[in-house]
Amino acid sequence: MDQKTNYAIQVEEELPSLLRKATTEEMVGFDNYKDSAQPSPHIISRFHPSHNSTPTLNGQEASSTSIDSMEGHHNYNETPPWTHQRKPSISMPTSPNILMISDPTTSSSSENNTKGGSTGKSVKFLSQPITKVSSLYIETGKGDDDRRRSNDNHHHHQHQQHQSGRQHQDHIPATHKLKDNRYNSFKTWSGKLERQFTRKPASIEPETPKRNNPNINTNEAMPVDRYYDALEGPELETLRPQEEIVLPNDKKWPFLLRYPISTFGMCLGVSSQAIMWKTLATAEPTKFLHIPLWINQGLWFISVALILTIATIYLLKIILYFEAVRREYYHPIRINFFFAPFISLLFLALGVPPSIITDLPHYLWYLLMFPFICLELKIYGQWMSGGQRRLSRVANPTNHLSVVGNFVGALLGASMGLREGPIFFYAVGMAHYLVLFVTLYQRLPTNETLPKDLHPVFFLFVAAPSVASMAWAKITGSFDYGSKVCYFIAIFLYFSLAVRINFFRGIKFSLSWWAYTFPMTGAAIATIRYATIVRSTMTQIMCVVLCAIATLVVFALLVTTIIHAFVLRELFPNDLAIAISNRPRPKQNSHHRWLDQLRNVSSENIENYLKFTDSDSSHSNDLEACNVKIQESDSA
Amino acid sequence: MEIPSQEIHIKIDNPRSSSNKRKKTNLADAEPIVLMSVLSSLHAGYFRISLSLCSQALLWKIMVHSHTELPSMVYYLLWYLALTTQVSLCFLYAFKCVFLFDLVKEEFVHYIGVNYLYAPSISFFLLLQSAPMIDPHNVLYQTLFWIFAVPVLTLDTKLYGQWFTTEKRFLSIMANPASQVSVIANLVAARGAAEMGWKECALCLFSLGMVHYLVIFVTLYQRLPGGNNFPTTLRPVFFLFFAAPATASLAWNTICGTFDTIAKMLFFLSLFIFVSLVCRPNLLKKSIKRFNVAWWAYSFPLTFLALDSVQYAQEVNDHVASILMFIISSISVLIFLGVMLLTAANSKRLLRRDPVLWSATGPKDK
Repeated sequence: MDQKTNYAIQVEEELPSLLRKATTEEMVGFDNYKDSAQPSPHIISRFHPSHNSTPTLNGQEASSTSIDSMEGHHNYNETPPWTHQRKPSISMPTSPNILMISDPTTSSSSENNTKGGSTGKSVKFLSQPITKVSSLYIETGKGDDDRRRSNDNHHHHQHQQHQSGRQHQDHIPATHKLKDNRYNSFKTWSGKLERQFTRKPASIEPETPKRNNPNINTNEAMPVDRYYDALEGPELETLRPQEEIVLPNDKKWPFLLRYPISTFGMCLGVSSQAIMWKTLATAEPTKFLHIPLWINQGLWFISVALILTIATIYLLKIILYFEAVRREYYHPIRINFFFAPFISLLFLALGVPPSIITDLPHYLWYLLMFPFICLELKIYGQWMSGGQRRLSRVANPTNHLSVVGNFVGALLGASMGLREGPIFFYAVGMAHYLVLFVTLYQRLPTNETLPKDLHPVFFLFVAAPSVASMAWAKITGSFDYGSKVCYFIAIFLYFSLAVRINFFRGIKFSLSWWAYTFPMTGAAIATIRYATIVRSTMTQIMCVVLCAIATLVVFALLVTTIIHAFVLRELFPNDLAIAISNRPRPKQNSHHRWLDQLRNVSSENIENYLKFTDSDSSHSNDLEACNVKIQESDSA
Repeated sequence: MEIPSQEIHIKIDNPRSSSNKRKKTNLADAEPIVLMSVLSSLHAGYFRISLSLCSQALLWKIMVHSHTELPSMVYYLLWYLALTTQVSLCFLYAFKCVFLFDLVKEEFVHYIGVNYLYAPSISFFLLLQSAPMIDPHNVLYQTLFWIFAVPVLTLDTKLYGQWFTTEKRFLSIMANPASQVSVIANLVAARGAAEMGWKECALCLFSLGMVHYLVIFVTLYQRLPGGNNFPTTLRPVFFLFFAAPATASLAWNTICGTFDTIAKMLFFLSLFIFVSLVCRPNLLKKSIKRFNVAWWAYSFPLTFLALDSVQYAQEVNDHVASILMFIISSISVLIFLGVMLLTAANSKRLLRRDPVLWSATGPKDK
């Protein structure tokens, strides 16, 4: 029975690690295997080559460096000896990096190992008594979510054996050990053996191996469907009730892990204010207000400081918690915020006080636009060709951030005197804005991310046309028909949102709201430019009103931010959006079904199970489908 | 692939497409059957060849006029080669229409194949525009123009009307990258009309093309689910994404007389899409396994882009533009030569292969 259950458990991707953990643990106390100094380097050498054979995910060096740093860090002090276990190893369709089994009995599984690596060693302890595992499973099934979550597998190309070993020492004492290790999954270099994680007993959850296969494989992005399944809300930040996360929710995570990319929205908000005050002070229609230039200077310096701070902190996050950054990159809404730092730099260049520098050098523009072009090629290409990230699926108002950058770049270039470059970015921005605009207006049924009720994110609709009008005016030299058309569209959208201000109530504050203020500022600046051409009392009044609204909103936002930061102390809540697990929690019935199967498992069942796993499938019901197939084949 | 010798006799008058796949026989009197097999495997997609040849001829004409150091012999040679290819393909296709009309009807009904029915007209337009001896203002040019424009206009009315009226042929279902060929046809016609001096006609055709281009562009970018599946062998057709704005830019340039801002914007858009496609080799990797006539679809969009860059460089006389022109033109010529050589090397496969260029299944919810 043990053997059989071994096999059964090993069907799970998680199981192997779990087994490992169990075995290492069990072997110490439970089994009759004594601790013996096992040549851990032996295992290390087995694992590392297989790890190194893993292709880097999207060329992320951090992962590879972490792998490399793993080399030689393994000391499996507490891991019981596996070497002398003669258990057959089974290839598991799990993260190929982790386990590769070379069991003669289940040859079918060996195909599943896409990434080579003979981690037969790792398998060895898989053959450890599973009974403990199953009891663990049942136990954890009772809701020991904490442990489950904390040891969930994320950074799959790291080895978790040691981790699992340690964590499984006791169920209870393990919890406090987890504290150190729970965030390791996100850490870029997690010291020694804390290689990511490990398969916890939670791994025994009835997950479909095929589902886990692509997911556990860190070389692939988490599929975008996963984000949509697990999160909800206009900014896709709220966890759905039945979802669980891989980091503990009851504790406050390390600050860097809680620091989302949307904080760059603050830079956007403040730097656009600097531009607005500069325009107010220097433009014709508002000269009557006698706005002093030091407001612009002060705001500009504040923005510089802000950008530097936020950028440094985020850089630290990239260095230390690369996995979290990766998950933000694959988040369908947060990806757009990756444009925000570069847009803020463009705003800085636009709002630079005249007393500091009047003529910016041309190479600065090329320098600033270069990261834009790279990011754009990637994102727009995904829209056009990407299967799961095609526009009809992921379109959301935040995508405006990726489009507005083109217009801001065109505006800056044209004001610096360049000719062709601004036209290039204007053309690209216009074409993609058109597509985005139509898609969002259609509110396709396949598009889930549009909030059903209004949310400040809708103000981003105003951003693109207002900046486009200003850019066109600068390119052609005068605020002609093209600019006026864009400007009127922007103003119409602004007013249609402003009169619905009631619907904006009762929405939870978040830092990304700062990003939504810059469209208002942009509309105000566009109005000033428009009023320069069409001079009348009406337009001047509009200038003043719009600028006042923008300033008030920013001020209110500042106050709210301060309150949240210092009084409520929850400016940076736990960022649930990046901590979603790779697999959904299975439904209850399938859970039990699998459990039954686990108990009645036989080697044929394992074979069948493995046969029916389909690593290409991305349905969330894979497990059930598998079970159904297995049952069908059983009955057949 | 060759089918074993004791193959079924194909009834030539059987319009079933499945019978097409078994046309190979090795009977003694194989000649008419060979001709029939050639005819049946010929489809409108083969006009990509003449498209590429004609567009290359146009490119060389423009380059030879602006850079006199280039040998004009190449241009004449190309043009005559293009003329012969086009005429022979047209004859063959005419025979097919006569003898195997049902196959032609099938093509017409297919959601990808119907777009390539524009291809003969586009090639003729290009031939006309690149002709060395015809002046755009004389009567012959004008008559020829109208002869070639009629099929384009009729197809337009049929196709574009279906997009939003016929439920089975809604654009959201039928849209595929090959739909841009219809847009290109309108734009090339607009350019021809502008060269003749007929501004209004040119503008009309241009706006027709651009409006439908807008709709297709948005639909294709959205990649609505439930749309049809586009076979991987036809991935080269993705290059049409940047062919359309490039042609629009050319047409606008001829209409306006100068390469003004709109033309520049279209050119830049086309350039951007080209770079973004080139940066995604995985998209095209699958289709490069085996040669088929769809590979010609790599050539003519590049030629259009090269044409555009030549006009752009003429307008903006700076180094960056000239370098860009040089690079893109060389890429275009190289790919053209490459595909031509590959065709020559695989000529047997070309003529005998069955038209598997599009899957037998149509749009999903047909």
